[in-house]
Amino acid sequence: MKLKNVAAVGTLALATALALSACSGSSTGGTTTDAATPSAAAPSIDFASLSGTITAGGSSAQANAEAAWITAFTAQAKGVTINYDKSQGSGGGVTNWLAGSYDFAGSDSPLKDDQQASSQAICGAGGALNLPVYLDGVAVIYNLPGVTDLNLSSATIAKIFSLQITTWNDPAIAAENPDATLPATAITTVTRSDGSGTTTNFTNYLSQTQPTIWTNAPGNAWPIAGSSAQQGGSGVVNTVKAGEGTIGYADHSAIGDLTSANIQVGTGSDYVPFSAEGASNAFTAAATTKDTGVKGDLAQSVDYTKITEADAYPIPLISYQILCTTFADEAQGELTKAFVSYVASDQGQQIAAKNAGSAPIPADMLAEIQTSLELVK
Amino acid sequence: MSENTAVKSAKNANETTATGAASASTPGSAPTGGSRKVRAKSRPADRIFFGLSVGSAISIMVILAGVALFLIIQAVPAIVADWPSNGDLNEGPTAGFANFWSYVGPLIWGTLFASAIALVIGAPIAIGIALFISHYAPRRLAGALGYLVDLLAAVPSIVFGLWGIIVIRPFLLPLSDWLNTYLGWIPLFGGTVSTTGSTILAGGVVLAVMILPIITSISREIFLQTPRLHEEAALALGATKWEMIKLAVFPYGRSGVISATLLGLGRALGETMAIALIISPAILVSVRMLTEGENSQTIAANIALNFPIATTLQREALIGTGLLLFVISLAVNMLARVIAGRAGASANRKRKAMLAQLPPSDPSTVLAVDDVLAKRHAAEDVERSEEASVEQTESEIDEEKRKGTDA
Repeated sequence: MKLKNVAAVGTLALATALALSACSGSSTGGTTTDAATPSAAAPSIDFASLSGTITAGGSSAQANAEAAWITAFTAQAKGVTINYDKSQGSGGGVTNWLAGSYDFAGSDSPLKDDQQASSQAICGAGGALNLPVYLDGVAVIYNLPGVTDLNLSSATIAKIFSLQITTWNDPAIAAENPDATLPATAITTVTRSDGSGTTTNFTNYLSQTQPTIWTNAPGNAWPIAGSSAQQGGSGVVNTVKAGEGTIGYADHSAIGDLTSANIQVGTGSDYVPFSAEGASNAFTAAATTKDTGVKGDLAQSVDYTKITEADAYPIPLISYQILCTTFADEAQGELTKAFVSYVASDQGQQIAAKNAGSAPIPADMLAEIQTSLELVK
Repeated sequence: MSENTAVKSAKNANETTATGAASASTPGSAPTGGSRKVRAKSRPADRIFFGLSVGSAISIMVILAGVALFLIIQAVPAIVADWPSNGDLNEGPTAGFANFWSYVGPLIWGTLFASAIALVIGAPIAIGIALFISHYAPRRLAGALGYLVDLLAAVPSIVFGLWGIIVIRPFLLPLSDWLNTYLGWIPLFGGTVSTTGSTILAGGVVLAVMILPIITSISREIFLQTPRLHEEAALALGATKWEMIKLAVFPYGRSGVISATLLGLGRALGETMAIALIISPAILVSVRMLTEGENSQTIAANIALNFPIATTLQREALIGTGLLLFVISLAVNMLARVIAGRAGASANRKRKAMLAQLPPSDPSTVLAVDDVLAKRHAAEDVERSEEASVEQTESEIDEEKRKGTDA
């Protein structure tokens, strides 16, 4: 009885959500079957015919989005249960998926070559697909009383995080912020103490844009000792908030009411704050599909130096859903395909944007994902 | 003949009354004077209970061996791998280490260092609380206090972690600044002082609170077991309360308190969440307690923080560090036993040596031992006071000399 009520409330909430995001247009919240259109706008999913359980896990960055997708999907497909375990993290998600326990893995980085090769053990010769379904940005957050608007270039960020700039009134920061009154407070950099996809994205950005200043190899563990290392994105956010003169990086969707810096695009004079459109534009500008030798694979390689327009946010964060081209159990394959297809629809992206604060994946990439999903069986 | 009937009657008793052993021994064996063992017939319940208890005893060995075996098998690939050239191990959390041992070395140091801080802060307070409860507090207060301390053990470590982040970190900042300014020349307090408070000192303080209940409750029980006779004897001989505790309670409880402390150490070694949440770790060997970036990471926290993101071989490396934590904990527990055993043995030796000085007689002997102790104590006091008086006269002479030169 209680459960039924919850489900009813869920459906109601979904209907409201859909009504609010009416600009996506193509769906009518009440019906169980969406009107099919050829593009990615709304997938042709026969929700009523679906039943079963999808087991997945991995990236915690896309956890909020997964939760929203699952609520929306299962509200329409009553017979489906989806479990997404975010405690595993990206690495654990891929490990468990390779062991055959997950239908798909959520990961902040696409499969590596050796992982792609070993995935043939569970996926057959077709291999595995990396589908970019979640887009966000890495925000540079700071807590400096009296300063509410801060411009930072990639060079200055690299110097701050490699501990070459140690006070807030450093000439390099002052030159970029002529209007701000910068105190002589010492800078405390706040980083992640646990392995993280956010760290991968951020160190990738630093090493690509400023290879002479940031000489450490990019990776999921913060490479430089001397910062205040905290557990989880929330740990970083809380420590930046509690300290004075602190600066850190976190998924934009997790920063709460903290102020984030405007980041210089390219080498020009434009400093861009985070926005969903900015992240989408950055994806269009910088992300290209890697040739992994797997048909339909959409693993992206991001070239941060290509983000030069003032309408793009310079540090996008891409997260993937990884699944087999060939499922051992065909019905399970259809079910998983239906969910991922829903996630990669315009409607799915709107739901994530609304509930998890993410940015929508550009429409042409969504169409490519739908094409790749055709290969899944 | 009479024996036979006795056994028979015992058997009958067994068969008629369901409450086995007690009734079996009383009626039958009494007349024979216990010259021959009468064996009670074993019943199903006996056999089942025997089996259960033996099974439990064996299972603990099997579980422990199983855990050890799992750790070893999982850890070996990472231990033997060539780290700099291995594609898995030269990136992410395990990047930049020459081999397994250079990775785990700083972690072992960090684990021991954090536990040592916790022990230095926590153990004296815990023993003080135990002593207060057992010997100083009024009865009603002692009960309540003991209950509170036990309650502390029931607080989940994640709660301690959050408390550490929100309360202890900012609370310790002024102290950190003060220590760094005035005692910064001591390596422990040197370096750039933290502005967020994520120091190993904060972690150590929270750990100290977490080990309090273990050390306190065991020490309290041991202090309470001090023979009343010893205490009264000491008091009767004119000892003050503190002297009585020093003479009767501490020597009696020493090995137990050491065991309690080492059990607390074991808890501190394995603590994960509080450390993972509070300190800002780095994998390096450092004795600095107040810095942001030079806090040595502990094994357990390192596993918790990096396991989710780790690839297969990195996981095996983390499990390898877990194996070493297992070994360290085992070593600490064994050390606890050895120390407890040795302390007990030496105390016995001392007692025997003292007994040898006395005429062999009954209860008074125990009192007499304390008497001997008290005498020694008194003698020492006399010596001390004599020394003091000598010093005094010397200083008086000095002063006179000075006066002389002044004049």
